[in-house]
Amino acid sequence: MVTSKIIGAVEIGTSKVVVLIGEIVNEKTLNIVGMGVSSSRGVKKGEIIDFNAASDCTHAAIMAAEESAGVRADAVYLAQSGCHLETFFNDAEVTVKSSDNIVHRSDVRRLLSEAKSKQLPEYRAIIHHIRNGFILDGMPIDDPEHMEGHKLRVGYWNIHGSVQKMSDSIHIINGFGLQVEDLIVSSLASGKMVTTDEERKAGVLVLDIGSGSTDFVLFKNGYVVYSGVVAVGGDHITNDLSIGLRTNAKLAEMLKVKNGKATLEPKSKNDKVMLIGDLTIGDRSISRSAVCQIINARMDELFKLIRGDKHIAPLFSNRELASVVLTGGASKLNGIEDLGEKVFGLPVIKGENPSWVASDLASPDFSTALGLLYFGFSYKDESQFTEQRKQTKLIRGMKQLLGF
Amino acid sequence: MDSKQLLESTVRIKIIGVGGAGNNAVDRIRMDMEQLEGLNLACVNTDLKTLSDSPVGETHLIGRNITRGLGTGGDPELGRKAADSDREIIGRLVEGYELIFLVASVGGGSGAGISPIIADIAKKNGSLVIAFINMPFTFEGERRFKMADMALKELRAVSDAVIPLPNDMLLQEEAAQDSVLNAFSKADEWITRGVKSIWAILLNSGLINVNFSTLREVFSICGGKTLFGLGKGQGANFIQDALDDLVLCPLLHVPDFSKVADNLLVNIVGGTDLSMSHVQEIMNFVTEKFGSKENTVLGAVIDEGKTQTVEICVLGTTAAGNLRSFRPKHSISASRPHHTPVKKTPVVASKSLREQIPAGEARQNGQLEFLPTIQEELGFEGMDEQRGFFEETGRNEHEGFDLDVPTYLRRGIRIVI
Repeated sequence: MVTSKIIGAVEIGTSKVVVLIGEIVNEKTLNIVGMGVSSSRGVKKGEIIDFNAASDCTHAAIMAAEESAGVRADAVYLAQSGCHLETFFNDAEVTVKSSDNIVHRSDVRRLLSEAKSKQLPEYRAIIHHIRNGFILDGMPIDDPEHMEGHKLRVGYWNIHGSVQKMSDSIHIINGFGLQVEDLIVSSLASGKMVTTDEERKAGVLVLDIGSGSTDFVLFKNGYVVYSGVVAVGGDHITNDLSIGLRTNAKLAEMLKVKNGKATLEPKSKNDKVMLIGDLTIGDRSISRSAVCQIINARMDELFKLIRGDKHIAPLFSNRELASVVLTGGASKLNGIEDLGEKVFGLPVIKGENPSWVASDLASPDFSTALGLLYFGFSYKDESQFTEQRKQTKLIRGMKQLLGF
Repeated sequence: MDSKQLLESTVRIKIIGVGGAGNNAVDRIRMDMEQLEGLNLACVNTDLKTLSDSPVGETHLIGRNITRGLGTGGDPELGRKAADSDREIIGRLVEGYELIFLVASVGGGSGAGISPIIADIAKKNGSLVIAFINMPFTFEGERRFKMADMALKELRAVSDAVIPLPNDMLLQEEAAQDSVLNAFSKADEWITRGVKSIWAILLNSGLINVNFSTLREVFSICGGKTLFGLGKGQGANFIQDALDDLVLCPLLHVPDFSKVADNLLVNIVGGTDLSMSHVQEIMNFVTEKFGSKENTVLGAVIDEGKTQTVEICVLGTTAAGNLRSFRPKHSISASRPHHTPVKKTPVVASKSLREQIPAGEARQNGQLEFLPTIQEELGFEGMDEQRGFFEETGRNEHEGFDLDVPTYLRRGIRIVI
């Protein structure tokens, strides 16, 4: 019998809302059947600041996606971003119980619940527990069950966020009559899409540079070892340009898209660009090097900020990373790889969505939404040790908290 | 007071330089200021050495028992104690002056510590306080930056208007080969032009004068960010030149400045050929850009010795914590008829102004009144543009600095447009 489940992926971004509808057939195949995009309102730096405005544009995008798919979504995977997200690492160790020193499933379960038991401050809720590899008597191991050893260790990256901020976005989806199946941190979703297994093994830093914020995630040995958000994105470039060149945000945005470049060009000293470019009143010429200087300063600072993060800096100094991958709208900026290579000292590439994605979804704008669908599709693989899906429980917990 | 005395009493204005940087600034602008009638200069410091070097006539040493005639060493707490110990001196300093301009740098201990107290005392004495505040470079370090930020907040709470002049921005203004001193001279120039412009409309009889109580009305809303912009035009197209210059005024493009004001004062100082239609053109442009006509006070003065030149000074105030509300709750012109039919142009447009307001009455009655206009509905985007893009979000702090402020400003990179 053919069973199919319709899932939706919703990313409420700073510049636009992206909704994809996917159909999971027989729990084996994922077909992307619908898409809706609307320009975003009421969201700044990745966080919802105007609930009604954000709600309206999200509903419009969901409606468009469902219309193009011709079906309604059963449940929604929702991306989370914004500065309220925080992470911490927590690990635990257990002694293998049985006398023959063979690791049993009960040992693993005991270990996992121990490692995840860290309490959170008030008004915070866990979004992800990301398990890193097991270590059995000092040896890294993927699946410890039935192996022999004394001490079993495991570490989790825990990503948690403000209950209030998360509930805002959940309310928006509920307001459309849909249930949120799971919250997924944007950087994880897009990071998974634009990197290959090999890259994640060798160590890769993925930067998803959006309009309002930059989400980053670090993969090492195939696991997520760190993630975070810096509330600086393409909007900041636009704002800097509009202040530095004394023009309005709209023209600054146009200038960024048309003439923006992340690297400095000494030879362009006298090179001028027109502000509007169609000889209308108010048009004036601007030195190209001024545009580049402003953008260069901002992007340079952003990269150095991430590179200098206390969890990331040691990985660079120990040469534990192989590459840096850029995605998100602002990664389309000219010369951004060159600047990145200078700051990170590693090969920097613009990420591409996997080859199975249709060409109209190939733009980095869709990485996060695709990642959400993929997450919804492949989630089961990662929950092999626990009978029940921990994440669903969290959502249920939050729903109780919010009173619905 | 009999009526003769009343007539003679003009508005008394004082410029007070606080702390080392403030003293120096007042010293530098002294030449321009001393010729202005009714304007007094004074310097206040804890440092006897700086004070005794000052060519300014009126100097006050404060905190004699706290710092023993030395500087505060960058400690605002010491500055505050010094000011507290000499409240009588400060009281005498500000007494009898209707309008007080404070000039200080909040990067130093005396500027940051003393100036809020002077502003407070002056305001309690009934003076109108406008502060020009020099902000330290961001690259001077987190401690100074925080201190300056704190002082700025304190000042906003007790002054009628606070005009921050960030060094980061002044650096943008100097030519590449200039020394740092020249950058400060730009700040001096702005202070001078701002003070002169307000002085002119209050004390020079001219086209449209503003009396002191009207000026006070403009500052009835305070505590928020201040809008301050200057524009100058010369030559055949002097009006358009001045408006272009005003739009490009760097003071209007820094995060610490307001983009739209709840109450607005527009001063126009022009040559003999400044006509009413010119004034109207400037008014239309300025009110559309920075606020609404209902809440704008206009002053225009003719400088007899000049032609084909105009200088515009825009000074606006916003209420504290009222960043979202675009329309102010009340209007300045009390006699404005309500609910009259919509008309886009000011009443006076049809007549020459000299007819409308006889010269003698100008001072008492010098406010232009406009019929109310229907304000265009502002879209969400338009609002963002004017209020500064990140205004509605919280500060984006990283190691004490606000990441929303352009990097090139914080790093001191000079941009030549």
